[in-house]
This record gives sequence, structure tokens and C-alpha cells, in this order.
Amino acid sequence: MGKMERFPFIVLVAGLGFFLFADFISWALPMFVLKDIPMKKVSDLAAEAKAKNTSAWADFERLAMYYPEQFKKYYGEVNEKSFEKALRIGHHWYVAEGCWNCHSQMIRPVSNETLRFGIPGVSNTVSYPSEYQNELQAPVLWGTKRIGPDLIREAAVHNIDWQVAHLYNPLTTSPGSNMPGYPWYFEKDKNGNIVPNERGIGLLTYVMWLGSWEVKPTKEWALK
Amino acid sequence: MATATSTAGEVQLTNLVNYTLVKLHVAMGLIFFIIVGLMGFLYSLQLDGIYPFPGIEFLSPGRVRMIHTAGAAYGFLVNMFTGLLYWAVPRFTGYKVLNEKYLGGFMFIGLQAAVLITVVAILFLGQADNVEWGETPWWLDPIIVAWLLLHAIQFGAPIIKASQKAPLYVTGWYVSAMLVWTPLVVFMGNFIPRFWSAGSGAGAVQSTFIHDLVGLYVTPVAWGLMYYFVPVIMKKPMWSHGLSLLGFWGLAFFYPMNGVHHFLWSPIPMFAQYSAVFATVAIEFAVTSVLINFMMTLRGSAEVLKYNVPLRYMYTGAIFYWITCFQCAFHVTLTFQKVIHFTDWVTGHAHLIMFGTFGMWVLGMAEYVWPRLFGKETMYSKGMSEGAYWLLTIGVIAMFVDLTAAGLVQGFDWIGLNPWIDSVNFSKPFWYFRSVAGIMMLTGLLMYAMNFYKTATAGKGLEAQLRNA
Repeated sequence: MGKMERFPFIVLVAGLGFFLFADFISWALPMFVLKDIPMKKVSDLAAEAKAKNTSAWADFERLAMYYPEQFKKYYGEVNEKSFEKALRIGHHWYVAEGCWNCHSQMIRPVSNETLRFGIPGVSNTVSYPSEYQNELQAPVLWGTKRIGPDLIREAAVHNIDWQVAHLYNPLTTSPGSNMPGYPWYFEKDKNGNIVPNERGIGLLTYVMWLGSWEVKPTKEWALK
Repeated sequence: MATATSTAGEVQLTNLVNYTLVKLHVAMGLIFFIIVGLMGFLYSLQLDGIYPFPGIEFLSPGRVRMIHTAGAAYGFLVNMFTGLLYWAVPRFTGYKVLNEKYLGGFMFIGLQAAVLITVVAILFLGQADNVEWGETPWWLDPIIVAWLLLHAIQFGAPIIKASQKAPLYVTGWYVSAMLVWTPLVVFMGNFIPRFWSAGSGAGAVQSTFIHDLVGLYVTPVAWGLMYYFVPVIMKKPMWSHGLSLLGFWGLAFFYPMNGVHHFLWSPIPMFAQYSAVFATVAIEFAVTSVLINFMMTLRGSAEVLKYNVPLRYMYTGAIFYWITCFQCAFHVTLTFQKVIHFTDWVTGHAHLIMFGTFGMWVLGMAEYVWPRLFGKETMYSKGMSEGAYWLLTIGVIAMFVDLTAAGLVQGFDWIGLNPWIDSVNFSKPFWYFRSVAGIMMLTGLLMYAMNFYKTATAGKGLEAQLRNA
């Protein structure tokens, strides 16, 4: 028993041995199981959005059309590069603002969550590993608490007009909501209208991108 | 306990401890405790819909909430624990820490700087990390790991010296293991999910990190200090040496495997989820063995709790600890998780363990140490001491019961597929009550801090009294 009360034994067995064993079971082995899922960079996500013409791509074009002055100033043209930039900026501020403190990004296969958050007409809308295997989920944004609803299928829930109003003042779209307003993601254009700024366009693009890979764009989504 | 009782006596023992470092760390820990409490209270006002600073970017509730959690970890707990280790480690080993003046001073300034940089980065620069309890921006994390390595050699040195002479006392086991675990945990949790994985793999690492920072830093230091302070205050040894061993090795083996229980029903492979559930239920037995040991030590001395407030803090915290772990053994199951995951139940659980247990413990230990640091016989005011204890205890129980109930309301409401806003509206009474409990806890803390300030500055010291006598 005396040996178990000595510094070297404790450090080697409990400190290193048990710790490494637990890490092996808890995350090294899961990572090994998941290793064949390709890891996507943000540029891959942008290319995919454009190639498949997803709802996120349509929303990005819509932002360019609604706010031409700000869009031109901060993002230039609608292309893969600018979409990538918007996703990165949006993700950065989603994290920095602590959005993930109140909004989860995971649909569990229990508790009617697929009914509540899933997309009607899409059979399997529970969260699955490959949709998280990208640069924007490192670290992962599953979250720990829901004050507001889950956002991983947000693209199918609200349109971009709703999102703009909601971000500026949530009470206008969701009476009773206790989400704070985020006026610092907006600025005034030359006509004096309140429009999203660089960070705002990024954040809106990011939020509308969430779940867009599951949404099948219909004809009316296309822009004239 | 061999070294603490056999080496000469009180005079020699007091020379081992650097009082300034203990004072500085404990005082900063208390200041940060009040600040993070205030931040939590502010955030709760947003949930009530009466946030006093709407539309101000750097006081956005989401950012304030990250200061609440990151500040509780690095500002409050690390400061408090470091201060108390500066008191306890030299006393139970019989040797000074590696270097008081330069390393100790540098570590003190480094820690405060790291916390202040975190606050500025999160509030003003928009630099945060979406790792719960690792909200510190990623570029600050190497500095924290380096600090923890310094921390390891600072406190490792006296423990190694003591270990060469005789087997270590229980506190030494916990602290030795913690000194190795903590830098590894912080490195793992902040770098692997960002640079070497993503998605489900990152989720598995992040959940392991959240739990390991509690289980492999906070818990071993706290239990180690409990094993030191409780016998010292009661002036008798622990009831069972065998149970101490069982508790330590049970914790060391099962605790690191618990983490994935934070993401049950997630896309993490099921074998990892099952192993986490199994390990979490198993840890309950280890915890119960530790609790039995402490309760049996108390047997025959329970009347000490009536007049000794520090000891009362410690046993109150210990009972909360057992409640939390008992609760955990049930709500960690996949069945319970269907209802309570993502709800306020979890928030209540977190507050009972962090505030109710670890918060109460460090407050008790600090209240035991503080008058001795200033050569005073007792704390300045018995009334303030009692008042703070009752406000904190009732406050945290109220918050725990309230949030647990709120969690059930939210969970069943979500399953029932009511409009989302219903769950917000149903929660509002609970959230108002939580803010009231928060006011109680904050008032208790302020009273406690006032008592500390008065003890340090007012009244005659023990030395002065002795000279006059």
C-alpha cells in the first residue's frame, strides 16, 4: 500500500496512465472511427454551395441585391471568395457574441426533436457526423443550453427578411422573446436606411447557411 | 499527517508559509468571485427581459455570460486554490514551495494578467473560443498551459521532497495527480478540437475537457484541501485511511472517462457515450466512499459545526457534493437525458457543484486561514460571518431547486411540441426567482468580503494583545 502513496507512482499511474487510457476511449477511438469522413475547409463549403446552388447561395445573392452599397463595399461581387469571407466573418462573430450560449446546433433522435426542428419532406433530419466535419465546427458548436431554438436547420425555418429584422430587434418578429437586439451589426446607408454592415452580412450569411445543405431549393427561390 | 505533526511545532510551520502570496491570491480570488457573480446576475436579467444595458456592444449579455464562466474558472477558482495551496502544501509536506519571491510573484502577476486579457478580449475585441469553460481566446491558451507548468514545479518540489522520506498524506496524492492532469487537460481541450479535429471528434474532446477541468483540476485540489483542513480544524485524523485510498483511486480511474456524458444522443459513436455513462455511475460509488469517510470523521464532533463557521461551510459543501453526484448518477442515463438535456436542470446542477460545493469549500477554508494570516484571533464580526453563510446557503439551495424545476418544465414543454415561445414564457417565473436567489448569493458574498476587509484592517492583532498582556 505504501507504494500507492508515493509521488512517482501516483504521477505515472493516476496522472498519466489513467488519463491517457480515458482519453483513448473518450475521443481518440471515436476520432478513429470517424476518420474516413472527409474534412471540409471553408472554401470547400463555398464551392459546394455554389455548385449545388443551395438556399444559402440564393440568400447570399439576395443580400447583394437588397444591400448593394454595403455588399459592394465589403464583399465586392457574389462569388465563392466573397461567400467564403462572409461565412468566416459570420462564424467568428457567432462565436464571439456567445450565440452558442443560448442556441444549440444539434438535433437529437429523441424527444420529438426531429419533428420540431427537422425539415418537412426531408426524411432523415437528425444530426449526423458528416455535416459537422468542417472547419466551421472546430471546435464544434453543438452548444449546452437552449434558451432559443436549435439553429442547425435554420435555413429551412425563416427567410432572410425575417432574419434581418430579428437580428436588429428580435421583439419585432418574436413577441415575448428575451433575445437581445444586435444593432451594432447594422449601419446607415446613404439614404439613411438601417442596413447590415460587414459583420451583419457575414452573420446573416452564416445563419442562413446552417442546414442549407438539407434544403432543396424550389423554383421560386431563384432570383430574377 | 506524519510530517505536519512531527516536525517541531507551530513556529517552524508558520515560517514555511509565505503569507503575502496566500493573502494576495485569496483576496484576488474573492474579488473575482464577486465580479463573476455580478456577471451571472447581469446575464440573468437578460433572461428576465430587464437587461439594464441594451444596445451596448461590449456589455452584450452573450459576452457577459462568457466572462461569468471563464472568470469563475481562472479568476475565482484558480486564484483561490493557488492561495490555499500556498498555505497547505508547505504545511503538510514540511518544505517550502520551490521559489516564493520570483516564481511566486511572477505566477501571481501572470494569472491576473491572463484573466484581465481574457476579459478585454471577450468584451471588447470579440475574441472568444466556443469551448465551454475554455472561452479564453485560443492565442492565450499556450500562456495558460505554461502557467500551469510553472504551477506544477512550484508545488511539485515540496511534494517530491516529502515523498522521498515517507508515504504522502492524502492531500499529497490529490495534489500530485492534479499537477500532472491540469496542463494536459487544458492543452487537450483547447488545441485538439481547434487544430487536429472537427465536428464529432472535436465534440468528444470538448466534452472530455469540460468535465476534466472540473474532475481533474477543481475536484482533486478541493478534496485534497478538504483532507487537509477538516482534520486540522477538528484536531483529529480522518476516520479511515483505506477509504481515502479507495476514494482517490476510484476518482483517478473513472473521472477522466466521464466527459462524453455531456453529449449523449449526439453524433459521437455510441461506445464512447456508453462508457461515459458507465464511468459516471461508477464514480458515484467512489464519491460515496469519500463522503462516508468525512461523515464518520465528524462523528462525535458534530457540535463543532455550531460555532465553527469554516467547518460548517466545508460540511455543507460536502453534502451538496453528494447531492450533485447522486443526481448525476441518474440524470446521466440516456433516459433522463431525453428530457433534461439543454434545459435549466443542467444549469442548476452546475451551480450546485461550482457554487454550492467548491465555492462554499474555498470560502470556508479562506475564512479559516484569513484571521491567522493577519495575526487575529477570529474574524472581525461573528454576525457578518453567520449572515454570509446563511445567505449563501439558502441562496444556492433556492437557485438549485428553482432551476431543476424550470428544467423539467422546459424539457416536457419541448417534447410536447408547443410553440417555442411557450417554453420561454413558462420559464420566466423561474428565471425571475433565479435572479432573486442571485441577489441573495451576491449579498452574502459582499457581506463575506466586508468581513474579510474589516478583519485585515481593523481591530488589534494577536501579537499586540500578547505584548500588552
